[in-house]
Parts: sequence; structure tokens; C-alpha cells
Amino acid sequence: MQAVAKPRSNALLSEVPQKERARLARLLKPVSLTFGEVLQEAQLIKHVYFPVDCLVSLFAPLRDNVAVEVGLVGSEGMVGVPLALGVSTSSVRAVVQGAGSALRMGAAAFQRELDLNPVLTTSIHRYIHLLMCQVTQTAACNAYHSIEARCARWLLMTSDRMRSDKVELTHEYLARMLGVRRVGVTVAAGNLQRQGVIAYSRGHITILEPKKLEKIACECYGLVKARYENPDG
Amino acid sequence: MPTPRIPSLNKLLAALPRDIHERLLPKLELVPLKLGASVYEAGGKQPYVYFPTDAIVSLLYVMKDGASAEIAVVGNEGLVGIALFMGGETTPSRAVVQSAGHAYRLSSKRLKVEFEAGGALQHLLLRYTQALITQMAQTAVCNRHHSIEQQLCRWLLLSADRLPTNVLTMTQELIANMLGVRREGVTEAAGKLQDARLINYSRGRITILDRPKLERRVCECYAVVKSEFDRLLPDAIAR
Repeated sequence: MQAVAKPRSNALLSEVPQKERARLARLLKPVSLTFGEVLQEAQLIKHVYFPVDCLVSLFAPLRDNVAVEVGLVGSEGMVGVPLALGVSTSSVRAVVQGAGSALRMGAAAFQRELDLNPVLTTSIHRYIHLLMCQVTQTAACNAYHSIEARCARWLLMTSDRMRSDKVELTHEYLARMLGVRRVGVTVAAGNLQRQGVIAYSRGHITILEPKKLEKIACECYGLVKARYENPDG
Repeated sequence: MPTPRIPSLNKLLAALPRDIHERLLPKLELVPLKLGASVYEAGGKQPYVYFPTDAIVSLLYVMKDGASAEIAVVGNEGLVGIALFMGGETTPSRAVVQSAGHAYRLSSKRLKVEFEAGGALQHLLLRYTQALITQMAQTAVCNRHHSIEQQLCRWLLLSADRLPTNVLTMTQELIANMLGVRREGVTEAAGKLQDARLINYSRGRITILDRPKLERRVCECYAVVKSEFDRLLPDAIAR
């Protein structure tokens, strides 16, 4: 008989003590999320999501339909952090960037749960601190680093969170993510491909040489990663 | 100029209920913040948190090569040191005084005790955190999309909103560091604003002369951040 794969979980939920888990489990609904699905507009929050093996991008919206990615959320985090800060609306748009599963909870139930569950509240606050580090890094990175370095960083961050060396996306999408023109991304991706670091075909990017990609990525990648692994470091 | 001695000059402190306010009062210490001084270094410990009254502190991200970019400004609407109660023992950014003035400082230990007790202080600081996240996210977008002149306008307006006066004490070099651009870029943008009589710049002092016109030139990022602060911290921001 084939062993049933242990379901992957979400880091914030897995810290919750055993005795609280049954109640929590009743409030969480497993959902399957598809690429491009909008989980949250920059408005009232109805649900929070704890990604299990999907990946969600957070965008700060601008007029003229432009949006720039300011953060990435995977199984280390959650979508809907304003609720944990006592705020019922979101200032960012959350879009599924890698299809997969997540656990969903209603906003009101989540707020009640925070009052009952100090362990969860503390780990979420800690996560918010890490998310702020990520946003901070993105702000600085946007101001300073080359498209190629940012492209490399983004591919690595996405691949880490998807636990896969294959990333599905088009140049146009990546350009939007990085807030640059498409041609800039095409040139950068072409350079990476010529160096044999990635392979690109029809919307699929495969990371062939993660170590080399890390060298090309700006320092931001390593710094955010280190902080997630050791928040007090 | 008289030294501000009333903790209510910081709007977060002012928005606290009277009992908490009175409990904290003897623990608050007014300290001068000198232009360019570092309040925290990135990765450093934070023995105190700071509630600015008439100073502005920039949260800067410092790159490996020493270049820095501003990710948020904190003035009399907020506090410097939120990593502390959010569970990060050290701060990811550097905090530098970008407009000289004063702040009330409180020992981190004391703040943590008050925060963990829950209630109004916790509620207020968490909401402030959300407003700050919005400011950081918007800065990330602004750094990518908007001109130096627009960024400068944003920066001037956000700073002026956080000061009791319309005079900022600072140098163009500091502004260039804040915006992550070269000094010449800032000089040119500031020159244009001065020629149009929106600001006056002389010897390290920038005076805002025509606020409405500045608001017309600024990118949308200013309004996004301002409305988020107004909405989340109405008591702390009401001017």
C-alpha cells in the first residue's frame, strides 16, 4: 500500500497547542486556489487565508491599473493581517501567484479566535514583523537594484515558497510583479537563460542552477530568507 | 523656541485613555533628537522606544554598500520601535533623525509590559502598525513608479503633517539619502519647487509656502498614506 503523504500545513497554525486545535480545525475550511484568483481587494476583509502549498502576492494598487508587488505569502504566513491588528479593511490586493491549497476562515471567527488563542496571536504578530521586513526590503530593492537581480530574487522567493524549482509565469506577469516594462524582463530573463541558470519555455521557468541564481540575486533575497529562518538574528 | 514638555504633543500618547496616560507619564523622558543622529541601528537592540513630539525620524533600509532608502517617516503621530512589541527583538531598519526636535522615550521593558496587558494601548499600537505597513508598501511602489519631484513632494507633505510647524530642519544630502536618489536629482527637484514658490530652501531649512499647490503636484501615494492614517488613527491624527 502506498503511504498517504502527510498533508503539509501552515506554519502559523502548526504552532497552536494541541488542546486548541480541534476548535480551530472546525473554523478552517480547506480551499483549492487557482492561479490569478483574487483573494482580497483593497477593501473589507471577509476571509483570512493560511496558505498550505499555494503562493499569494500582495500588491499595493496604484491608479491606472498599475500595481506593484510588495510582498509574497506562502505557508509561513497568512493573508488578512490587518484583522490581527484590529483593522477590518485591507490596504493591499492579494492575488494567487502559485495554485495550491489553503485554509480559509471567516473574518469574525478569526477575530474571536485571536481573543481565545494567545499563542496564535503571538505567532501572527511575529509574522507581521517578518512581513514588514519583506516590505521594507522591497521598497529599498525597488529603488536600487537592477532588473536582473530583482528578477533572480523574485524567482528564488517564489520557488522557495512553492517548494519547487518550476515557476509558471509569463514575462508580462513578471514585469507587472517587478513594476518594470516587459522588454526589461525579456532582456533579463534572456541573460539568465544564456548563462544556463534558468530555462524558459511557454510560460514555464525552471531554475537549473539555484546557487548561481542566488549569486545573481540582489542581497535582498538572502537577507529576507535569513530573517525568516531566524527572526531575531 | 520653548521646549515642548507636554506628552500630549505626541498624538499616540495623547490618544491614550487618561489612566494609562497617567501611569506612563512619570516613566516618559523627554530627550532631544539631533539632526542626523541614529536612534537605532539595523539589527541593534532597542533599549527604548521613542514618541516624537517635534522631531521626525526616518526609517531607513541600509544596503550592503552603505546606500540607504527611506521606507517610512515617523513624527508626532507615531512611535519608533514597533519591532519590539511585534515580537522581533531587533529592528530591520535604521532609524535616523531627519528633522531635529524632541521625543519622549520610554524603556522597552515598560512598553512591553503595557502592551502585553492588552487594552487601549495595545489596540492603538496595533492600528498604528497597520498604518505604518501601508506607508511602507506605498513607499515601495512610489520608489519604483514616480518621479523624484513627486517623491520629494510626498516626502515634504508627509513630514510636514508630522510636525507642529511647516519648517523642516534638514539638508538636501539627507533628503537624497532618504529618497535613495543622487543629491543632484534632489537639488534639481527642490529648485523647481522653489522657483514655483511652493517651498523656500535656505541653509538647511525648508519652509513649505504653498501647501495646496504642493498637494496638486504630489503623486497619489501621499493621499493613500494620509487617508490610511486618518482612518486608522482618527484621534491621533486630528489636527
